[in-house]
Amino acid sequence: MKDLIRIRDLSVRFYTYEGVVHAIDDLDLDIRQGETLGIVGETGSGKSMTALAILRLVPYPGKIESGSIVFCDRDSGGEVELLKLREDRMRAIRGNKISMVFQEPGAALNPVYTIGDQISEVFLLHRRQELGRRARERVDNLLNDGNGFGAGLKRPFWHWQSRIYDKIAEEPHALEPRLLSHIPLFRRLLWRLKDEASLLTVDMLKDVEIPDAARVAAEYPHELSGGMKQRAVIAMALACSPELLIADEPTTSLDVTIQAQMLELFRRIKADKGASVLFVTHNLGVASEVCDRVAVMYAGRLCEVCTVEELFLHPLHPYTRALLDAVPMPGKELQTIPGALADALNPPPGCRFHPRCPSATPLCQQERPKLKAVAKDHMVACYLF
Amino acid sequence: MTDWKFTARQLVRNPLSLLGIIIIVIFVFIAIFAPLIAPTPESHQQRPYMIPRDGYRAQPEPPSEDHIFGTTQGQYDIFYGVIWGTRSAFRVGLVVIGIVVVIGILLGSLAGYFGGIVDEIIMRITDVFLAFPALILAMAIVAALGPSLNTVIIALTVVSWPSYARLIRGDILQVREEDYIEASRGLGASSARVILRHALPNAIYPTLIMASLDIGAVVLSAAALSFLGLGAPEGYADWGQLTSFARNWIVGPPGDPLKYWYAVTIPGLFILFFVLGWNLLGDAFRDIFDPRLARR
Amino acid sequence: MFSPTQRAMLYVRDAKQLADLPAVIERYGLDQPFVVQYGTWLGQVFTGNLGYSKVVSQPVSDAIIQFLPATLELAIFATPLIILLGILLGTTAAAHKDRPLDHGTRVAAILGWSLPTFWLGLMLLMIFYGFLRGFLPPGRLSVQIDLLVNAAPFIRYTHINTIDAILNLDGPVFLDALRHLVLPVVTLSVVNVAFIMRLMRSSMLESLGKGYILTARAKGLAERVVVNKHARRNALIPVITVSGYVFAALANGVVITETIFNFKGIGWWAWQSAINLDISSVLGFALFNAVLFVLVNLVVDVLYTRVDPRVRLGQGVQ
Repeated sequence: MKDLIRIRDLSVRFYTYEGVVHAIDDLDLDIRQGETLGIVGETGSGKSMTALAILRLVPYPGKIESGSIVFCDRDSGGEVELLKLREDRMRAIRGNKISMVFQEPGAALNPVYTIGDQISEVFLLHRRQELGRRARERVDNLLNDGNGFGAGLKRPFWHWQSRIYDKIAEEPHALEPRLLSHIPLFRRLLWRLKDEASLLTVDMLKDVEIPDAARVAAEYPHELSGGMKQRAVIAMALACSPELLIADEPTTSLDVTIQAQMLELFRRIKADKGASVLFVTHNLGVASEVCDRVAVMYAGRLCEVCTVEELFLHPLHPYTRALLDAVPMPGKELQTIPGALADALNPPPGCRFHPRCPSATPLCQQERPKLKAVAKDHMVACYLF
Repeated sequence: MTDWKFTARQLVRNPLSLLGIIIIVIFVFIAIFAPLIAPTPESHQQRPYMIPRDGYRAQPEPPSEDHIFGTTQGQYDIFYGVIWGTRSAFRVGLVVIGIVVVIGILLGSLAGYFGGIVDEIIMRITDVFLAFPALILAMAIVAALGPSLNTVIIALTVVSWPSYARLIRGDILQVREEDYIEASRGLGASSARVILRHALPNAIYPTLIMASLDIGAVVLSAAALSFLGLGAPEGYADWGQLTSFARNWIVGPPGDPLKYWYAVTIPGLFILFFVLGWNLLGDAFRDIFDPRLARR
Repeated sequence: MFSPTQRAMLYVRDAKQLADLPAVIERYGLDQPFVVQYGTWLGQVFTGNLGYSKVVSQPVSDAIIQFLPATLELAIFATPLIILLGILLGTTAAAHKDRPLDHGTRVAAILGWSLPTFWLGLMLLMIFYGFLRGFLPPGRLSVQIDLLVNAAPFIRYTHINTIDAILNLDGPVFLDALRHLVLPVVTLSVVNVAFIMRLMRSSMLESLGKGYILTARAKGLAERVVVNKHARRNALIPVITVSGYVFAALANGVVITETIFNFKGIGWWAWQSAINLDISSVLGFALFNAVLFVLVNLVVDVLYTRVDPRVRLGQGVQ
């Protein structure tokens, strides 16, 4: 399987009032084409940061210190170093080739715009040429067989529209349409673009199994339930058929029955669209449902990367095993992981997990264990192996 | 009480709030030592707040040896006026805010604690007062009672208390719904105790912000009223009053239009800096007590 | 409080009327208890009679109608200026948080609302009228233009000089009126711009911290679009709520501004009345303002429902 994303030596630091936090520490990770990779870890493990780093959306006071994230564009075939990309080219990738779904759908949607508007926005931004082409086709159809009332008067107007849309179809940000859009009266001329975008939006909403899609598109976020909102957000992310969909704990804020539906949706997306998914979660059960491979993170570092079956059948890293043991099961006594989470400001030296590890050795305190392959498609960062 | 230490530290670190504190301290100093800085002449010992006059000529005199800041129309000494005017400003500001905060806490607590009809009545009363733009209502009250600095204080008190009552009531209502209140009551604490020990201390912060900003606003309003002739009597040491003298002397003779600049500029600068000091402090308080700002 | 005799005395114009004093007190109930007098006044108000303004020798209601256009003119120019400038500066300050532009605007804002309005007005007069030799004068119109305006063929449609000038297609009058408007409008606006600006800034900062901003960025939108389209619309909501209070602040400022610049609007009239202890006028003015304030807040409340789709009239919390 070819790689889609190659992360090497990624380091993200947060410069806070109290000191420097190493949110991500020399991370190496690959995301392959067509796979669903899960990143599992507790709060503060750096999993969300990894997701944000790929899109270069790390918030202040965080900074991507070093490393490289290479994106292998399936369509163009080329390789792009995301961390060195010019901002405007990065923007062309965000929402288009790589998109993201966040944890709280209620917070992710802007309360003052309709669902349809917010999804159409993505089409208007990244699929402008396509929209221009479609709009021009419609106007040309009108010109050819429109004999309706007042058609004679409207003809010159249609000719002009056709010309404008043609321009957009060739060059999405052509000067003339852009200038015109700033003049209040002429802004309306672009309504056909919005119209076409709306059609695509409704299709998208249907794709994510939202009933009565046309009506929902005209509604505001507060009028929808949590599950519907999350579907809408997913629709927004999938609008331009991205090659990588990043989902940051998308099911955490939903209740269990909706969660099940959501996971089913993700499975279907995987099957239908062929996109890769980076699924960030703290819930191992959820990971087992959707993911092909899983990466376990602790305190900004990778502990283990392997297939989902391997994770549950042969967990190697002590942290992974502890996580699995901690899952409550009927009949079993509740296990916890002793000790407390690594202090972000003063992390333990060497292996971050050693203070809480039952198999710790003196070596674990001194040097950080490197991630190495132990079996086929199974990597661990631990001195036990 | 490490909260206060943190607050104090933040106040001093911020250059703007530090400036505000310094300005206020300077004014306090001036107010306290006014008799030393601008000694009252023999003739005025009985009424130190009436500015001494050096003659009766209409034309203001520029700053000189005798009159450091010059004189206004009618030969009132500007220096004496602004120094003693500091005392008037503090008097008006502190008295009004002091009374208003007390009334606000009282009525606000009553409204918040009892709720129901008591709350409704108090809120409707505040609505009535708040429907009038402050200065205009104050003007009406002063006109009805007869202009003097005391009526100005009364008028401004009447105009300002509703905002505080509402603020405190709002805070108490908010706190009433909090989980830890339910917990307290579960443990047997009475409502009154809950309000006194939990709600009020938390309400202090926004009140402090509002109060410090308001001292400036109150002094501004008082100055405006005095300027309009509805405040301190003529010749009284009050900044607004002093400025009103300059009204006829804004523009000098054609050759020297800025001739009487001191009559307008100096009292105005005193007002400006006084209010600025309190506003800087209040603004700093607002930044510090902003619940959205991460504390540690 | 004044005694009934004192109050009646306010309306006496010559010695002959002194003899009628007891009759006047009797007739107007000046010796009645406070509550009764209030009741009478209130009753009169509902019939449209607000009393008589001694200062301008007209019924109060007529006086209000006469002086209102001037104040409206100030409001028409000041309000858009305040709102637009305040929003613009506030957005800029938020977008450049903690950088020089933000600090600069913050200091300017604090200075702005520490300024005594009357002092600012006087200083501006001193500089722009005195020092710059009559460049921006006080009053509403210069003497010659005033004569022009009050005679045929100039038709007074609204008594608002700028609008009338446009309607009469009269350039010189328009420019003259504008010239006289600059200083009062600036004086009125400064304090309010500072206030709106700070509010807009904090509102923008709150808006920019919300989840949908991250989503907007993740969609690939340019920062400018994120700020202007997504953040600002949400940030405007609290600002709109506050605009009712801006109106109140304007009402306050108008009294002082009109007085200083001799701009004969209702603020100026109210001041004259207050100084001359013309109680009916002052009461009428205060009442007028209160009613207007309530109406403005009503309009604002309705506007609020249009802007924020989460809020609909007549509904409880969803």
